[in-house]
Amino acid sequence: MDIWKLLLTGSVTTVLAFVVGMLYMGLRRKITARVQNRVGPPIYQNFLDVMKLWSKKSSINHGFMQHVAPLWMIATSITTLMFIPILNNGSTFFTNLTFEGDLIMLLYLMVVGSLGMALGAGQTGNPNSAIGVTRGLTQMVGFEIPWVMALVALMIQHRTTTVAGLLDVQVQSGTWLMLSSPFAFIAALLAIPGMFRYSPFDIVGAPAELASGPISEFGGKYLGTMMTNGAIFAFVKLTLFVDIFMGGASNLGFLLLKTFALYMFPVLWGLVSPRFRTEQAVRFFWGWPVFFGVLGLIQAAI
Amino acid sequence: MVNDKESQKIVDIIQNFARQSSLFVLAYGTGCGAIEIPPTMTSRYDAERFGIRGAATPRQADVLLITGYLATKSLKRVIRAYEQMQNPKYIIGFGSCTINGGMYWDSYNTINRLDMYIPVDVYINGCMPRPEAVIAGFAKLQKLIQAGKADGWDRYQKNLEFYRGNQKKIIHNWVMPDYNW
Amino acid sequence: MSEVFFRTKDLSTINIMNEQDILNKILDHFGNKVTGNVKREKRVELFATTNTIEDVLLYAKHQLSFIHFTQLSCVDWIEEKQFELVYIIWSPESKVTILIKVRVDRENPVAPNIDYIWRHANTFERELREMYGVQFEGLVGAQDFILEDWIEIPPMRRDFDTAEYAKKTFFDRPGRENARDVRETIRQNSGEEIPEFAKKYSR
Ligand code: SF4
Repeated sequence: MDIWKLLLTGSVTTVLAFVVGMLYMGLRRKITARVQNRVGPPIYQNFLDVMKLWSKKSSINHGFMQHVAPLWMIATSITTLMFIPILNNGSTFFTNLTFEGDLIMLLYLMVVGSLGMALGAGQTGNPNSAIGVTRGLTQMVGFEIPWVMALVALMIQHRTTTVAGLLDVQVQSGTWLMLSSPFAFIAALLAIPGMFRYSPFDIVGAPAELASGPISEFGGKYLGTMMTNGAIFAFVKLTLFVDIFMGGASNLGFLLLKTFALYMFPVLWGLVSPRFRTEQAVRFFWGWPVFFGVLGLIQAAI
Repeated sequence: MVNDKESQKIVDIIQNFARQSSLFVLAYGTGCGAIEIPPTMTSRYDAERFGIRGAATPRQADVLLITGYLATKSLKRVIRAYEQMQNPKYIIGFGSCTINGGMYWDSYNTINRLDMYIPVDVYINGCMPRPEAVIAGFAKLQKLIQAGKADGWDRYQKNLEFYRGNQKKIIHNWVMPDYNW
Repeated sequence: MSEVFFRTKDLSTINIMNEQDILNKILDHFGNKVTGNVKREKRVELFATTNTIEDVLLYAKHQLSFIHFTQLSCVDWIEEKQFELVYIIWSPESKVTILIKVRVDRENPVAPNIDYIWRHANTFERELREMYGVQFEGLVGAQDFILEDWIEIPPMRRDFDTAEYAKKTFFDRPGRENARDVRETIRQNSGEEIPEFAKKYSR
């Protein structure tokens, strides 16, 4: 594949991820407002927020690591995005950098962003940030286990370590993996709210408790970059999940439909739940999700 | 960066539009007025439809909402929070107490005129103003931002001597970082 | 109705002391060092000195079940050049409140520290130290309590002129130099009529 085409498709994918992620978050705010019997902001409100943050005239930082932390995060998100095939119709336009063995690499890549956030937040010296980072890493230990179990189960069962390979399996067999490997699917699905950090798993950035946790010292363009990153990363997670379990999508319309349906799961769950404490969250993830993960592994082995 | 004037104008309009339609509010709940913020934000009056939304820390905030009387002790904290906010930033003084001292006009421990200590962009009159008045105040602030007239942060930088003098007049033990951005 | 509710337990049968009993017991115990009277129902007033106040409080707490220390306040008798400390204690059994009044010299106000009897008395004592300048012997706690950077005389003393101080320290907004009614001015400026119900409250 020649480099120019790669650059073109890469940028198109990134912009797509940004726009879709932002609109989803705007929709989330709108839905939250409607559930609370409010009118709510327009769904493009998040674009305005990011624009405003980028047009701030000053952004203070406390050192090099805080300066690069948002860049680190957004770079990780875009890299992750590059390894995920967006569509399953065999066209090479949205496959970007997909290669043999990428699923294992994705497992590692997806946590690198949090690491950057931890380093940057650590440098600000704000005690809330430190608490937030500890909580975030603890929670990650929680939800990564069922998530990894589910993916390993699929990898063993279908003897492939690529997302594209799993997509092929689904296209050829005609059923989605969420139907043929229901236990792994349930384990991964229950891990999703933890990844999105919405209620009841918003223990990292709890605004009332921790003053938004790790990002409490980030303002102006840093916060803007982080919001951009949040949008892209949300799209990454949703697309990866849809690719693996829900058969991918043959065109953008189906992709939006499936990712939106999936996105509603953490959002609607979050609307009706108060916040867990850290140990409650970890206990939750190590309970039923791990149980289903084990079942999934057993199903894969036999 | 060199900006030719006409293009800068367009950029300004776009930026000001973004600024006015997304206000992150840091509510400094000093006085009685803090109790009017929850109804303003929740379902009855729903300020979020105008893009007004709470911020958790000063670094993320655009608007500092000072809800009522300010003791000299809390003035110190307000100044500190204000100086941590990122430019451009705005202040809304809320209630008679911030305008002229209100019912605490002769108290030994509450300041009378907020705008002698930090630059106020919009005052909301009343003791206390109802949520409608609060939203009207925000609408006024949005108009000012769109017209580029909400320049309190700029005045603060330019007249730092004046504000510092007034602040130090009542805060004798001045242990605060310098204002350097 | 509340009368009935609180009186269902007949006080005389369960051997709860009434106000007069309490007063008599204290007066008997301390002889002529303490004087007092029953002010009204459920309210006993005692007059002690800085030397006896600790004993009175300990006796009331341990012998008469006055286990609740309600508050410690201060009155500035500037004409008599004295401060009056008022210790208010209450008994959950007899439901009687005792006010123990202690006079201290205004020039050199020193009183014993009682925060070993009730831990929370510490808070009241620090407040009085800050607001009136009353010193309590051996009181531990930061010097600044509510005020910060205060360099004038303690603000609750009656010779401290609050309005004067506010005038010279803070900035008046023109038109708000005193407590006068500003509605007339607002009416003239805005042309709005003052509604009928609001006129009644004008000065
Ligand atoms: S203006 Fe009135 S309501 Fe507001 S803080 Fe002052 S006294 Fe309280």
